[in-house]
Amino acid sequence: MEKTEKQKTAVVTGATSGIGLAIASELAAKGINVIGIGRDSELCKKVKNNIESLYGDVRIEYLTADLSKLSHIRQLSSNIKNMANSEDDKSIDILINNAATVSSWFVGTEDGLELQFAVNHLAPFLLTHELLPLLAACSQGRVITVSSSSHYRTRIRWNDILMRKNYNCLKAYKQSKLANVLFTAELNRRSESNMNLIALAADPGLVNTNIGLKGTSGIVRWVWKKRSKKGVNPKKAAQSIVYLALTPDINRFNEIYWKDCKPKRPGRYAQKEDNASKLWKISEKMCGIKSADYGL
Amino acid sequence: MKSFVCITGATGGLGKAFAVECASRGWNLFLTDLSGKNLENLSRGLASTYDIEALYYPCDLANDGSQKDFFAYIQKEKLEFDILINVAGLDFEGFFTERTPQQIRTITRVNIEGNLEMTYAILKARDKEKPFRIINVSSLAAFYPMPIKAMYSASKRFLLNFSMALREELRPAGVTVTALCPAGMPTTEGCRQSIESQGFAGRLTTKNVGYVASKTIDHALKGHAVYIPGLLNRMLRFVGFMFPSGLLARAICERWKSTRKRKEAIL
Ligand SMILES: NC(=O)c1ccc[n+]([C@@H]2O[C@H](COP(=O)([O-])OP(=O)(O)OC[C@H]3O[C@@H](n4cnc5c(N)ncnc54)[C@H](OP(=O)(O)O)[C@@H]3O)[C@@H](O)[C@H]2O)c1
Repeated sequence: MEKTEKQKTAVVTGATSGIGLAIASELAAKGINVIGIGRDSELCKKVKNNIESLYGDVRIEYLTADLSKLSHIRQLSSNIKNMANSEDDKSIDILINNAATVSSWFVGTEDGLELQFAVNHLAPFLLTHELLPLLAACSQGRVITVSSSSHYRTRIRWNDILMRKNYNCLKAYKQSKLANVLFTAELNRRSESNMNLIALAADPGLVNTNIGLKGTSGIVRWVWKKRSKKGVNPKKAAQSIVYLALTPDINRFNEIYWKDCKPKRPGRYAQKEDNASKLWKISEKMCGIKSADYGL
Repeated sequence: MKSFVCITGATGGLGKAFAVECASRGWNLFLTDLSGKNLENLSRGLASTYDIEALYYPCDLANDGSQKDFFAYIQKEKLEFDILINVAGLDFEGFFTERTPQQIRTITRVNIEGNLEMTYAILKARDKEKPFRIINVSSLAAFYPMPIKAMYSASKRFLLNFSMALREELRPAGVTVTALCPAGMPTTEGCRQSIESQGFAGRLTTKNVGYVASKTIDHALKGHAVYIPGLLNRMLRFVGFMFPSGLLARAICERWKSTRKRKEAIL
């Protein structure tokens, strides 16, 4: 039996600004129980108050984690589990992996990884694994990862995936967004036989947010300042992602990549199964997990 | 027996880059730095990503007791090493007279004494079957007297001279010593800001840490004495030979004063 929206729970990462904030607000306004993830607890508090004062009687809570750190993601997962287990139906219906970052510099994370690869790809990878029991507990769990048209015309640098030696901000970003699509495709393949799960990659189009201004300098920053002005507002972008989250039986024809509420063909590199499974195995090692232990 | 690469300052920007580079070459690691928590996260990540053994033991090089524990641990575990990378080092930028006595002591303890004691102890635990490599992280600042970084640049000069002399002493024993002399690298938020504030010149002398770590290991394996990353930086070194050092010190001081003003204007 399909749940009503009031009975659903959604987790949204990067829910303190840009598209993620708009998604969290929209879902909450529809009566869904929302768990927003942010990295700055003050900002989380402020944003929660704002949403509550705008929409009145909504159910929204925030948890904080720095998604560039595997240790924080593990802690966050157990906090989410505790939160979900205190509710009646003990499940999560929707996970929206939206948080992402852009960095002009190579930044090494505490786990020996690179910042963009860690936040944009490995965080969704690990968080999805950790939340699988909760996603599998509902009739049709949904994992939506916000990718981008940046995933076209690029590839995975297999021999230096962290771009340690030849870091380039844009190339690293493009690779991470390609990883989002490969991850989504492989997640569908792996969960197909034993879980009722739908994984989708969303392309929000060009959106007017500050993503290109936070960890950048010089030319990248300047270009984003000009370019983002041409983007749609985050509310508009959020609507098409909320559509993916709530429309029943959305991927009847196994379409995994969506833009403006319509399926779209992802890049050729993203469609290759061997790329997806190779990336998956590397990601397992980097996160120190075995998917088999999670039923994948 | 299995041998390890010992890296000090392993969880900082450059130290971490060395740790990742060594792990990616399949080498086992023994890491140290101040925080056990940071070391644990890094070792765990590298061990699982690269299928290597990664051990760690926290140590405050400025603290005698902590250092004793560290060496005792190495003995107890009977660890053997074939590479030592001395990365730990610090700087308190600003005028000498504005520093506290504590800061003055910490700089000499960590940058100089810490390095010497570590080198001494790890050489004793060397894997005798293999050649032994030492990499000391000096700095481009070692080539000139640098006002505002007076203690720092002098301590790096110490390491440069020490490395080159030790290299000759140990040559017959199959030990090589390589001094790495980098310019600024964007490893911390502070460094990044300081490079930004130096504008175009700052960016030109800046190299990716991952690249630097990888190249340094290549040079160490070839037994080179000094490695300065970047062509422009290599040329800057010769500026140090071409002009009298008094004049250079004066010029550098003027330059720092003006960037400091610019930085303050930005903030
Ligand atoms: N904007 C576009 O034109 C565009 C186009 C295609 C795809 N996208 C994708 O859309 C998604 C959202 O981007 P956006 O434009 O809305 O950017 P944004 O406004 O910068 O939002 C990114 C979110 O991620 C969070 N975040 C960043 N690093 C984090 C970390 N280490 N730990 C935890 N949270 C972290 C940010 O937290 P704070 O709020 O604390 O900064 C923020 O909430 C991203 O996946 C992006 O790749 C955007």
